[in-house]
Amino acid sequence: MPTNAIVADHLTYQYGDLLAVDHIDFQVAEREIFAFLGPNGAGKSTTINMLTGQLKPKDGVATVLGMDVADDPNKVQAKIGVCFEISNLYEQLTANDNLILFARLFGVKDFDPEVLIGRVGLDGRGDELVETYSKGMKQRLMVARALVNRPEVIFLDEPTEGLDPQSSLAIRKVILEERERGATIFLTTHDMTEADKLSDRVAFIDKGQIAAIDTPHNLKQQYGKRLLRAEVSDGDGKLREREIELDQPQTAAEVERLFEQEQVITVHTEEATLEDIFIQITGRALD
Amino acid sequence: MKLEMLGAVIRKDLVLFFKNRFFAVITVFALFGYAVIYYLLPSQIDETLEIGIFAPAIASALAAPLEEEGVVLEEYASEAALKEAVTQGDVPVGVQFPKDLLALVAGGERPTVDVYLSADLPQEFRDLYPVLVEEWVALMAGNSMTVEFNEQILGVDRAGSLIPTRDRMLPLLAVFILMVEVLGLASLISEEITTGTIRALLITPLSTEGLFTAKGIFGVGFAFAQVTLLMLVTGGLIKQPTLILLILFVGAIMVTGIAFLIASASKDMMSVMWKGMLALLILIIPAMNVLLPGLTTDWIKAIPSFYLVDAVHQVINFDASWSAVWSNVLILAAFAAAFLALGVLALRRQFR
Repeated sequence: MPTNAIVADHLTYQYGDLLAVDHIDFQVAEREIFAFLGPNGAGKSTTINMLTGQLKPKDGVATVLGMDVADDPNKVQAKIGVCFEISNLYEQLTANDNLILFARLFGVKDFDPEVLIGRVGLDGRGDELVETYSKGMKQRLMVARALVNRPEVIFLDEPTEGLDPQSSLAIRKVILEERERGATIFLTTHDMTEADKLSDRVAFIDKGQIAAIDTPHNLKQQYGKRLLRAEVSDGDGKLREREIELDQPQTAAEVERLFEQEQVITVHTEEATLEDIFIQITGRALD
Repeated sequence: MKLEMLGAVIRKDLVLFFKNRFFAVITVFALFGYAVIYYLLPSQIDETLEIGIFAPAIASALAAPLEEEGVVLEEYASEAALKEAVTQGDVPVGVQFPKDLLALVAGGERPTVDVYLSADLPQEFRDLYPVLVEEWVALMAGNSMTVEFNEQILGVDRAGSLIPTRDRMLPLLAVFILMVEVLGLASLISEEITTGTIRALLITPLSTEGLFTAKGIFGVGFAFAQVTLLMLVTGGLIKQPTLILLILFVGAIMVTGIAFLIASASKDMMSVMWKGMLALLILIIPAMNVLLPGLTTDWIKAIPSFYLVDAVHQVINFDASWSAVWSNVLILAAFAAAFLALGVLALRRQFR
């Protein structure tokens, strides 16, 4: 039975009168990629801040690698890596110097920044000042910085938001490599496609509460419907669209009838996206 | 808290400090420029009183009574030359005596003596010179004074060894150097808060206490090193170096606390600059008082830098020992502890 790398037990945080995170419970297994999905202001970053020791919960307990985060944040922080949503690199230093600084803070011996620089696709750019980097390059460097201590748990807060496809791809590749290495990944995003592609499980958070939590497949099975869409010709050159719901007792008969009775031009299947399911569950779209 | 962690943060701060061209330039200027200014100023004070005269035929008689009084007479060939010399500032005062001065005085008459005063001469000297000239003529005429003077010097007699302006300036330069460091450190910290790099540092095993320790070591060490270097090149460490270094070290702690406070209340470099300049204007008042002693008032003792400036001034310029300045050092240490504690509290709130 896999042990849990992260446990949120009635985790709560309040900013003044605003209940940002409202008694949420979830567990993330070791080596799992767990996506935390929700619109802006849903409580994603506040949850990450509590799990990483940056905020002390007002109620509940955050446990990472079996340690209560609030008890000794520095002990937990030694074993985790965090990639922030907004770039907070030392822009007047080179990329290599940024990584070396953090390697020293983590006490990493014989650290070679070029290895990480290469892994995030910035080969040959390590000696350049960060202020000369593009947004995508900075974000890749942020991911590299989160990996300097070979963390057991990696928190990535919107790692690909607003990035070019090349940078997004590089970051996704690193996430999968890190999971292969044995790390647990906690990912917040409002890119549902990315979550669908990468995650083992997803949790929807809305207004500080967990609205649903499961694998993308199960969520689609439970909340979405798969369809077969066909374009058929009505004989005078015009096209009509036919739609048959899949996974139903009568599906096979309907499909057979379609091909017998209609002149089918094109056919394809379609399944619900996580975004559709989010809307169905919460009644509102992602921002 | 590992030394390697502290070393990494201090090294990074040092690099970032000099990456900021403004602070790099003013730091270098402060170190070398102030030393140059110090050595350009005269090392001794001219204690003689210079008076220009136009006195046809009686110049040597005029000089006789003043020979031992430290007065230097500058003789001019004409009334016009004398006036020109006073106007140009060659001499602060010029006196034109009539040709038959001695005969007129001997005959019981009151001859007219013209006294030309420089336009920038303070009022007290304007009043003093005519009195001096009157006494001078009386002595020349052989008249005795109506009273005998019994002069007593209270305190250290500094006749012949008055403190040169450049040595009076040393406490002022020390405060300037320390304040430059305040601006630099405050700017560095405020930028770290604004850009969020502080968050990145604190998500590592580095604790908040460790971060403050590193910033404190950087601030105190950097300020202390700069001001020590200035004292070294200006000869400020010749007398009682241990005591001077102790005073400057406590001063460096105080300004680091002030830098923490300014950083906690600032959002960017401009904000740091105006708050820092305000602090500088207040903190240099006691140093100005050393430079121009006539300004002395009791309220300047409420300014924390007074105890730094006064202690440095006493030790460097009057060779004061620990017993003479211990109260200054203790009060300075209390201010340093208070500023550091307030600065840490204010910054800790910002970090949260």
